Amino acid sequence: MAAPCRHVGHHIQKNGRFLRININQLFACSFSESKEAIVIPRKKSWNKEAVLEALASTVQRDPTAYPYQFQDDSYLSPRTSIEFKLFSLSQESGRAAAKYFVNSNPKLFTKDFAEPHIPYLMPESVALRLEEVSQEALEERISLRKVSAAVEMYDQLLQSGTAVSMETTHKLLDLICLYCDRDPVQEGTPQTEDRRKPMGRQAMDFLKCTWKENNNAERIFNLLPERDARCYSALIRGMVKHGAYAKAFNLYEDLLNNRLSADVHIFNALISAVPDVRKKNNERWDLIAELLNQMNEQKVRPNLLTFNSVLKALRQCSFLAKTFSPQILNEMKALGIAPSLATYEHILTVFFYKSASSGPSNMAILQDVLMELEGTSFTCQDPNDVLFFATAMKLCLDNKDLELGYKVHSLVEVGENWRLLGDSYQQALYYGRFFNLLCLMEHIDVVLKWYSRIVPSLLYPNPQGMKNLLQALDTDSRLDLLPTIWKDIKSLGHDNKVDLVEELLSLMARDEHSAEVQESFAACALDVKSVFGERPKKEWSTSSLSHISILLLRANKLQKAWDMLQLFKDKNRVPSGALLSSFLTACRCSASPQRAVELVQLSAAFSLPTTPELAKRTLAEFELNDKQR
Amino acid sequence: MASFGSKVFLSLGRTNVSGVGFKKTGNRATYATALTVNSSSTNKARGGKGSTGRRPKRGPGEPRTEKMALDQDWTSVYPAATPFRANAVPLPLRMGYPVKRGIPPEKKGNLELIKIPNFLHLTPAAIRKHCEALKPFCTEWPSALDTDAKCDELFPVKIQSTDYVSAGPSIRNPSARVVHMKVKLSSLNLDDHARKKMLKLVGDRYCKDSDILTIKTESCPLRQQNYDYAMYLLTVLYHESWKIEPWEAEKTRADMEEYSWEDSTSQKNILDTLLRINATGEGEEAEVREQLLGREEVLEYKDSVETLKNEEPSESNMLRYKEAVRKVLKV
Repeated sequence: MAAPCRHVGHHIQKNGRFLRININQLFACSFSESKEAIVIPRKKSWNKEAVLEALASTVQRDPTAYPYQFQDDSYLSPRTSIEFKLFSLSQESGRAAAKYFVNSNPKLFTKDFAEPHIPYLMPESVALRLEEVSQEALEERISLRKVSAAVEMYDQLLQSGTAVSMETTHKLLDLICLYCDRDPVQEGTPQTEDRRKPMGRQAMDFLKCTWKENNNAERIFNLLPERDARCYSALIRGMVKHGAYAKAFNLYEDLLNNRLSADVHIFNALISAVPDVRKKNNERWDLIAELLNQMNEQKVRPNLLTFNSVLKALRQCSFLAKTFSPQILNEMKALGIAPSLATYEHILTVFFYKSASSGPSNMAILQDVLMELEGTSFTCQDPNDVLFFATAMKLCLDNKDLELGYKVHSLVEVGENWRLLGDSYQQALYYGRFFNLLCLMEHIDVVLKWYSRIVPSLLYPNPQGMKNLLQALDTDSRLDLLPTIWKDIKSLGHDNKVDLVEELLSLMARDEHSAEVQESFAACALDVKSVFGERPKKEWSTSSLSHISILLLRANKLQKAWDMLQLFKDKNRVPSGALLSSFLTACRCSASPQRAVELVQLSAAFSLPTTPELAKRTLAEFELNDKQR
Repeated sequence: MASFGSKVFLSLGRTNVSGVGFKKTGNRATYATALTVNSSSTNKARGGKGSTGRRPKRGPGEPRTEKMALDQDWTSVYPAATPFRANAVPLPLRMGYPVKRGIPPEKKGNLELIKIPNFLHLTPAAIRKHCEALKPFCTEWPSALDTDAKCDELFPVKIQSTDYVSAGPSIRNPSARVVHMKVKLSSLNLDDHARKKMLKLVGDRYCKDSDILTIKTESCPLRQQNYDYAMYLLTVLYHESWKIEPWEAEKTRADMEEYSWEDSTSQKNILDTLLRINATGEGEEAEVREQLLGREEVLEYKDSVETLKNEEPSESNMLRYKEAVRKVLKV
């Protein structure tokens, strides 16, 4: 990392600390060498963490290690994605519980061991201290984010006739609008886990509340003798956040009628609300243009979030977006605002997924974007920044472009950009798509190298990913690695996915292989059988049964193969004729006519069409005693 | 972890049902004496729920060492001082006392390996990398100071202090305030009296063999204060040893640091003996004494007595004394 060197490079020159030189000695020295001037360099100074950062820059990622927050133990590390989620959530909840205890019993946690002082470890005051009706009490409630208590205090203040300062009113309105007139969730109270819906990420807030008619914010607003732009801003933004879009626009009209000028946040909020108030694309665009013009008139300077919300609104306008997004980019450049990752993400989506024609020629856009962003490290400026990498990788996957995929990944590895991969869901999307792209396009050695690098430390592949891997193995005919892959499938918890297991078995059973490979396959097959055996609810299918039997036969495990035949009967599945004839061959090798006869009887019981053939073969090849039919 | 399976069996009391008991010891992380090999029967039953509703026990995954590449970057696996983790160190270590007719226990779950400090984070490769990374913080050594002797001569006062690092909420350590100041007395400008006085003042802090005076200050709470105090002490000692107090004139023979032959009993004795031997009686006694003192054998005798008294008695010293005595007494 270049950071520590920069620190030192800008070092503050302190006055040099010269150690004492004994002047007498200098002249009395008996050295006959030339007396060079002793130049003592000035001591460099650096900030407190520079040494640690320099040492940390010598360390790279360990490819087999799990994320650092988990215990590094073979029993305690999460092996499947469900475990990952469970462990990280449980850690967080434990931490929240501990914080709750510390905060609710501050008298037990007075001793401060940490030097220098760590404020996070000491109890925070969560209980109200001031009880009397005063402005300080109101401020305290606001800072502790107790919405209902603050509203109550405000009402009491008004009733008692005390004037509340404009500052405090602003803060109060901000508070109420932010939390939609409800108390925010306190730590320690049970929360419902937010289940991610696969279709969209809109259902993220666990307290999705809607703006009610005439709630406290509006009431207080209407009671205010004078309202300035800031009050309007709080209300409008609150309304947009909690779904009252039309009202937000009405309030904006109100603002204009009062000849006040809005600030940039109001415009951002209104722009992002446009798709919800107008249904037709033309109208939407007109409204956006109107808002932008008004912004210009009121001399409000747009910022990055403005442009991002315009682009986001345009996403919903399909064909219009393509025409207008380049213009927006030009405007941004003209204003000197550097686009953030969210901007690029909107553009990519607009050009690739919303337009009717998206062909390989459009990859040029992605190429340009990546070339421009090469080597830059980003900070998060917009909440939608985290969607960029997943979208870019999706594009590469859909267009099967490996080069660009590698470029995107190299961008992720620059500096701190990995932080912009988002939470575990986004990260799983990104790495899953990257891995799929590799499986499709790359040679198996490279695929295996990446596999060992990102699984399972960064990615827990889903069954589709594993299937792609199996296919890649098949393409490059490295089927001897299948038993290791099966072990991984088991540890990932995908051994209950029937179609995955069946594909694995069919790949194993398809061709003949060398002896030790067959042995390993047979062991694997037995493993699969035992896994299935523990799950009586799962249904065996004919193909999997027959595959297992074939594998066992090929490895000359006759007894186990006979057990398989028993299973056929138990599960009411019919073995194929080919299977039985191969059984017959095996019986011939082991020279057990008794078995052969049983075989024929079995096939007769299943009333297979090949029964007469089998009987004939048995008669021909075996010496039978009178038990023959 | 063991509680799931053992709910059913606890009701049987402490009967050691062999199958379950084996499982229990296998799945708990017992320490040190795990000589028996855990059979792999327990960890096949992972994932999915049995129809009886009893979830099978979650066995251990395979340790990370299986997946480590041979050419991996070890400095990334152990970047900082951490306790020993058996599933992250790919070495087949054994440690512990072999219980009779056994071998030292393996590394899995071995408390002995966890207790001791390890230097897995400071392999030579790691140290090389750290040195490279720390080079920007260092300044160049002055090129003129290339020998130790020059450094001693130009910077005779050496200060030594220690910093302590430990894991914990506090970075302070009271032992970090100690300051040692070392200086060679030969580099200080002291004449004979000053040197002797200085030595008397410092006492034990002076090491005769290396001629180094060490002052250790730890009485102040901060290192800066201790450093200032040590410097102050040096200054004061220096100036005080140059001062001559009036009461120093009362220094008796018993206070002397080394033996001087003038006016000692040895001188008196030898002169008396010689006088009695010669007994010529010419001139004054005082003149005769003066004359005798100027003689060569007497001087030699003086030297030998002084070396005997001031230095360690050794073969050569004794022989010298013997020779001198013989010469003086003409024996």
